[in-house]
Amino acid sequence: MDPTTIGLIAFAAVIVLLALRVPIAFALAGVASLGTFAIFAFRTGTFMPERAFTPTSSLVFSNSFDLVHSYDLSMIPLFVALGHIAYRAEITTKIYHAARVWLASVPGGVAMASVVGCGGFSAITGSSIACASTMGRICSPEMLRMGYDKRLATASVAAGGTLGSLIPPSVLFIIYGIFTETSISALFLAGIIPGLLSLAGFLIVIFFWVWREPEAAPAFTGKITARERFDAAIEAWPAVALFVIIVGGIYGGIFTATEAAAVCVSAAILIGFAQRKLTFAGLWESLRETVIQTTSIFIIAAGAKIFVAFIALTGVASDIVSFVSDANLSVVLLLVAIAIIYLVLGMFLDPIGIMVLTLPLMVPLVESYGWDLIWFGVVVIKLLEIGLITPPVGLNVFVISGVVGKDVPIDRIFSGILRFLSIDVLVLALIMAFPILSLLIPSSM
Amino acid sequence: QDLFVGEAGPNRGARGESLNFFAEQVEEMSGGDLSLNIQWGGALFKAGAALSGIADGVADLGTIIAVYFPQEMAPYRIADMPLENSDAWVGMKATDEIMRSNEQITEYLAAQNLVYLGTFTTSAVHIGCKGTAIRSVEDIEGLKVRGVGAYGDTFGDFGANLVPMSIYDAYQGLDTGLIDCSQTYSYATAALKQQEVIDSYTLLNWGQTGALGIFMNKQSFDGLPAEQQDVLLEAGRMMSDELGRLITADNEAAIETMREAGVEIIELPAEERSKLVEEGSKYIDEWVEQVSGLGLDGAAMLEEYRGLLEKYEEERDSQGYPWEREQG
Amino acid sequence: MLRRIERLLVDLAIISVLGLGVLITATVLLRAFFNSGVPDAIVMVAELMVAAVILPLAATTANRAHIVVEFVSNRMPPRVRDGLVVFGSIFGLLALAPLIWAGWREVTHTIASGGYFFGDLNLPKWPGRVIFLAGISFCWLRLAIMVWRDIGAMRRGEPLADTGYGPEQTEEA
Ligand code: NA
Ligand code: NA
Repeated sequence: MDPTTIGLIAFAAVIVLLALRVPIAFALAGVASLGTFAIFAFRTGTFMPERAFTPTSSLVFSNSFDLVHSYDLSMIPLFVALGHIAYRAEITTKIYHAARVWLASVPGGVAMASVVGCGGFSAITGSSIACASTMGRICSPEMLRMGYDKRLATASVAAGGTLGSLIPPSVLFIIYGIFTETSISALFLAGIIPGLLSLAGFLIVIFFWVWREPEAAPAFTGKITARERFDAAIEAWPAVALFVIIVGGIYGGIFTATEAAAVCVSAAILIGFAQRKLTFAGLWESLRETVIQTTSIFIIAAGAKIFVAFIALTGVASDIVSFVSDANLSVVLLLVAIAIIYLVLGMFLDPIGIMVLTLPLMVPLVESYGWDLIWFGVVVIKLLEIGLITPPVGLNVFVISGVVGKDVPIDRIFSGILRFLSIDVLVLALIMAFPILSLLIPSSM
Repeated sequence: QDLFVGEAGPNRGARGESLNFFAEQVEEMSGGDLSLNIQWGGALFKAGAALSGIADGVADLGTIIAVYFPQEMAPYRIADMPLENSDAWVGMKATDEIMRSNEQITEYLAAQNLVYLGTFTTSAVHIGCKGTAIRSVEDIEGLKVRGVGAYGDTFGDFGANLVPMSIYDAYQGLDTGLIDCSQTYSYATAALKQQEVIDSYTLLNWGQTGALGIFMNKQSFDGLPAEQQDVLLEAGRMMSDELGRLITADNEAAIETMREAGVEIIELPAEERSKLVEEGSKYIDEWVEQVSGLGLDGAAMLEEYRGLLEKYEEERDSQGYPWEREQG
Repeated sequence: MLRRIERLLVDLAIISVLGLGVLITATVLLRAFFNSGVPDAIVMVAELMVAAVILPLAATTANRAHIVVEFVSNRMPPRVRDGLVVFGSIFGLLALAPLIWAGWREVTHTIASGGYFFGDLNLPKWPGRVIFLAGISFCWLRLAIMVWRDIGAMRRGEPLADTGYGPEQTEEA
């Protein structure tokens, strides 16, 4: 059996196993392990399983262990903990109350505020997953408590989380910049307008969603006096303080984005205890929720990482790119083909994995057509972000699912996502058709 | 035969280009019998898992960065020591020769199921600063510095506060003032656009980081016919000349780029450098001790390496770099 | 017994998350106010991450908190759905087996070779790997017990228990 065949069988096997309700992490890790074993066993042309044990075990171990054994990703459990602690210390409730009171006249105002919050949070973290795990823990439960439609309360945050990589800073842009030798600062600047455009698109989706189904977002019914608004805003001070600490600390050169997560957790604990809203037992309980949730996210990410290494061995990703590259397509067709490649790979693989598998072949192709690599970077990142919310493997959706638990089945979240996906495709088409949207800011600096 | 290659870095930049050069040489010299299937960006394994990845046969060959394996790659780390050599080509030639010809090292690697093929370098270690400048070692005191390896430790000995951070995060760290200075090398500084955020760049001429190179799974290697083995070894040997050419040109261009961006280029005075050398020498002693503890002759290796540095310096001075010779 | 161990593992993971927070906050404060730092903080954070993320795996499994796609199974009769749950667990046993074997190889190799992280303290590489192996192994054990009990329940014609702890003693995660 040749590696490409094994790779294609593996994609199909993942779909079937997921449909059979096999936990996502197990499906990815199991298929990748078996596939890797098959590739090494068939390497000499004949089936020699004894040669496959050592390399398979090495690949499986190093890829899962290295994902977890990471300083940078410590941001994720810490930001998740921040969400849980802030929730228990009523910090999130207060800011949501303020948002609800102030935005009472805007249909779906709280969902919009959540998405805008995601946009703001994107400017802090460089990662969409971190963005979704934090904002998901903060926003979705609050919206569910206000009686929001389950799909709206979850999908809006999953979609909002994808802004994490388009709005700078962004790990994905850094990796793209390294692989293409383009200016990382120019890429950051290029992401701003497309990022804001995506944000606007999400707000429009929410607006029309609530306009057509007002019951999806129950408005605040209590009477709202100026006094109440004022009080609500004052009571929200801890959330504002945390935000000031994060932004001031990062842009003031006191700490990095990774360190910000730890500092904020410490600050939230102090505020919680000072306000007597947080008890030791409450803190322990919120951390218990944190570790269970973090584990269910990381085990999937680890499975996905093993899957990427396996796909690298199969050569499927590079086969697909070479196929397109040899087809001598017209400019428009090539763009469409590239979009389809990234969307299909995005169904299964994580963004960084897709980039390292495709960019070495994709970039020469793009250069041969004389395209601007900065603009192309924005297109690629947007495509990868879309992949985070497409089924069957949509990491952002899994993150939100991990937060809300069994209250909202994953299929409901995906069904809500569909509405955001439609606008994402529109935004993507705009970014592709009008490179100026990406290039305006970097070229004017 | 198709060989899997694992590389943690990108297919661009000096290292990526030399690995591509290596692959081309292998394919050409073997008449197409060998072809390399390179997986970039750590798709197969990250830098921290490269040693087991190659030794276990996940990839047949790939890049190992010694600092991730201070124990397993101890002899190789001689190329990371502050030995006052700042010439990328000289450093690579000396490293390549000792790794290739020292039998103790070959055996030490063979025991780990590894064969050495060729070496890279990041080239000479320098330091870029924002809002301050290092003109003497006294200036180091109290600065927040991103430093690496024995060089970073020595900055620490002179009173710097070492802030751990990846070279990719250094741009933002310098920009926001989280760090004052970042240990670096010239072409990376320009590639990462750090000239936009630094005010001064001090040329230390103190040493380089060169303990990263291509290693092969010994079983895969032994399974090849002798002529193909020679092709791999020869291609690895040629790599240092090619990379030397690339890096020397890139480094010169990078300094020019920094100058144009208004960065002050400072040459550290010789008496200041000797203070660095003196302070850094204890890390060389530690290295000798560590390698000797592994049952190898560390002192002899150090002497051999110093001799090789001299040999290639002399070759450069008398004949010029190989790529200059070809031109005439 | 296993349940107590799982509880202990979760508590250790909680302590690790707190450790992450304290360690990194201390780094920031020491840098900002005393121009100093914690030696090898990056290595210690990475090792703590393994404990924080992997140790709760068994408890996650016992609570049936692994993320699944229920789109198809929800349209099936309950007995078929239960069958799929058991199938998922069996597949999990299969998927985790290579990791346990690989983890064992890695642990023994790292201890034998004395590998360590470059840094101020030259911290050894084995603790994180041992934690990883322990977390995955207990998860495997829990899965195996759940498969056993779930098959038993299906044979008796009963619905599956909500958690791996049995029908009566459900516990909040
Ligand atoms: Na961002
Ligand atoms: Na997807």
